[in-house]
Amino acid sequence: MQRGLEATRETVLKHGIEDPGLNSAPALTLPDLGPYPTPNTSAWTAFWNSIYGGNNQLVTWWLDRMTLASYPLNERMTWFWHGHFATSISKVVYPLPMQVQNNTQRKLALGNFRDLAREMVLDGALNFWLDNEENYVESPNENLAREFMELFTLGVGKFTQDDVTSAAMALTGYETTQWTGAVSLNATGHYSKPITILGRTAPFNAQGFAALVVSLRQNANFISDRLWFRFVSSTTSPPPNLAAHFNDRDVASLVNALVRSSAWTNPANALVKSPVEWFVGACRALKVQPSSLNQTNLQWDLSQMGQIPFNPPNVGGWPSGQAWLSGAALQYKFAVAQLVVAAGDLSPLSVPSSKMVQACADWLGVPEWSRRTANSLAAATSNPSEMVTAALCAPEYLVSA
Amino acid sequence: MNDCLMDRRRFLQWTGAGVFAALTTQLSLETLAGAASSSPLPTNTPILVIVTLYGGNDGLNTVVPFTDPNYHSTRSNIALSGSQLLAPISDSLAFNSSMPQINTLYGQNKVAIVQGVSYPNPNLSHFSSMAIWQSASLTGAITSGWIGRWLDLQPHNPFTAIGIGSTLPPLLVGDKSVASMVDLGGIWPPEGSGATILPSLGQPSSSDVPLVASAATSISDLYATSAVLGPLVTKSPSGSFLNEQLSLVATLINANVPTRVWEVNLSSFDTHAGEQEYQNALLAEVDAAIGTFMTSIGSGSRSNDVTVMIYSEFGRRVKSNASLGTDHGSSGPVFIIGNSVKGGLYGEQPSCGSLDVNGNLQVTTDFRSVYGGVLEDVLSTPVGDVIPSWSSTVSVQ
Repeated sequence: MQRGLEATRETVLKHGIEDPGLNSAPALTLPDLGPYPTPNTSAWTAFWNSIYGGNNQLVTWWLDRMTLASYPLNERMTWFWHGHFATSISKVVYPLPMQVQNNTQRKLALGNFRDLAREMVLDGALNFWLDNEENYVESPNENLAREFMELFTLGVGKFTQDDVTSAAMALTGYETTQWTGAVSLNATGHYSKPITILGRTAPFNAQGFAALVVSLRQNANFISDRLWFRFVSSTTSPPPNLAAHFNDRDVASLVNALVRSSAWTNPANALVKSPVEWFVGACRALKVQPSSLNQTNLQWDLSQMGQIPFNPPNVGGWPSGQAWLSGAALQYKFAVAQLVVAAGDLSPLSVPSSKMVQACADWLGVPEWSRRTANSLAAATSNPSEMVTAALCAPEYLVSA
Repeated sequence: MNDCLMDRRRFLQWTGAGVFAALTTQLSLETLAGAASSSPLPTNTPILVIVTLYGGNDGLNTVVPFTDPNYHSTRSNIALSGSQLLAPISDSLAFNSSMPQINTLYGQNKVAIVQGVSYPNPNLSHFSSMAIWQSASLTGAITSGWIGRWLDLQPHNPFTAIGIGSTLPPLLVGDKSVASMVDLGGIWPPEGSGATILPSLGQPSSSDVPLVASAATSISDLYATSAVLGPLVTKSPSGSFLNEQLSLVATLINANVPTRVWEVNLSSFDTHAGEQEYQNALLAEVDAAIGTFMTSIGSGSRSNDVTVMIYSEFGRRVKSNASLGTDHGSSGPVFIIGNSVKGGLYGEQPSCGSLDVNGNLQVTTDFRSVYGGVLEDVLSTPVGDVIPSWSSTVSVQ
């Protein structure tokens, strides 16, 4: 048993190596669509078709990657950072800078948070999303400065309004090209005199600001807490020593510590699967490539459930827990379950009917069905499609206990 | 329990975030559906409709203190004047010209404007501000929502509080019970492959941990609510997003659905840049949706029962920025609208010339007092039962 657990942990933690599954994931090269064309011309219509088409392709591209990865940790952590540095295409508009950001988060998903924070503070999609292209010395726009400290690195209440004001000055002078996500420094627009941020006085630029906040002990606490919240529990506190595993800001070390903590296997730490997490889990189990499904239906259902990749509701990221458990969401979930099952490989249920219900639990990674669910599913042994459709909507599958 | 599966599932099944528990005794589907359809909301039962404006609405450009010289000098690039304002409602205030219908309702004494509302020492954060407003707790010690706690005091019934959408907002989540959600796309019992099994998965099981039990409840609630509401939600609403939500609420109220609290919302009030253009469009959307809603309600039998409360997590900075926008601020107005409301101005309008250390408006009314008035006047519940050790109320009825 102990050896099995260790082997599982090793598999879970695998990353940074060639991933055979991802080799079969379709590539996506998005064009630079340039600035907005003149309204009400044929170029205008074509432009918006490219925007919406690219947006849909981008979502499908990522769902495929999440599903096809043989070692899913890197995509899983990319998903975490996407929710952490939550940036929405609803304002960025162009899919290309969203993909650029996503690739940066993927490259550094299990790397050093110092690097990720430095890249993110100069990420074009994030800069546009949080109005930094309109942050001027004579009249600072505080949006990026505040959220960078509050939501991305330190947490609420860990800085003052004066720190926000100063940090906004450190972020002046950066110009973003909305359609590519390129960010460049216009030195004449940058405030270069010494300013004081979080007790440190120096001439700060964006990288210096990011390095400062990440160097603070609070940053280790904050990121550890966020990872705990999204991976283990939003109701219990992380073990007191968890942040110590993030002293050098190595994300892989922190994830490693999380997976090896006893809390990892404590059934009291239940989690509700978000719609995308639920969907990708189902696709992985049933060997369904998301791009093979009806995209119109799929993206509509995901949006009705409240979760389309690249379109979080606000800079705070996705909701969590109970928020996902509404009857209204379930009706869309059921429709998606039917979509996935119709395309899925049901061979794991090719067992004697007396063993089908247990085989279904093992297949979907459910530790144990309740008597309620086991009895309900047992009524469908003559129809594996019906059994697994219902199983994907069973309480024990919607929640990981 | 198989530890290996447990372990692997965490990543391979893409598990999401955790939660607080919410569960109470469950009734059978038949009982719930029967109770709802056979038990319409009794005549004259007050109904609360909560409108959440996400992002921090700029109150100063909503109800404009047009005689305050500091209003014009500190935000000269976005200050409203002349034709950008409607006829004054007092010697110092006028509505943004994007709000003609609410202005008219104000003239009919159906709109209470509670001024300068926030919580003590505003921290300027969207998320902690909204958490404070939705939980009615300053410290984060209480994570349940204020309507959720009110719901905890009522007999369990999935119709008592309903949000529009599919994702539960925190204010509708109690310690024991949660509101139901009805999606704009309608609510229907699942059909097709697997559908015959699904109802039985909504039954309680003694082995359920609280979140799994909540998931089961969501299944039974889908059947209970779709049975009653499904046939009522078939009309396709039109207009803006908020208008669609409020049209659905009006339809269901007029159908005597036994619901005491409704929640709808509109996002994108975070106007750091280009504020006039964006905020005016949003306020026009709010105005049109409220106007249509009040007309719909007025045509039914509940016109005197309905109270609408409109709030946002904070107002915005008095001084504008160079991007023609405003950064995060503190207090703002709360609107309470209804035929039974005693219209007018409540509380004190904070001055643009007497700001706090961060350059923000003073807080002149605590939001918990506004909730207190709504809880006692509309929901007939002492405020202290929902907001521990709070007793102050602003009554507008």
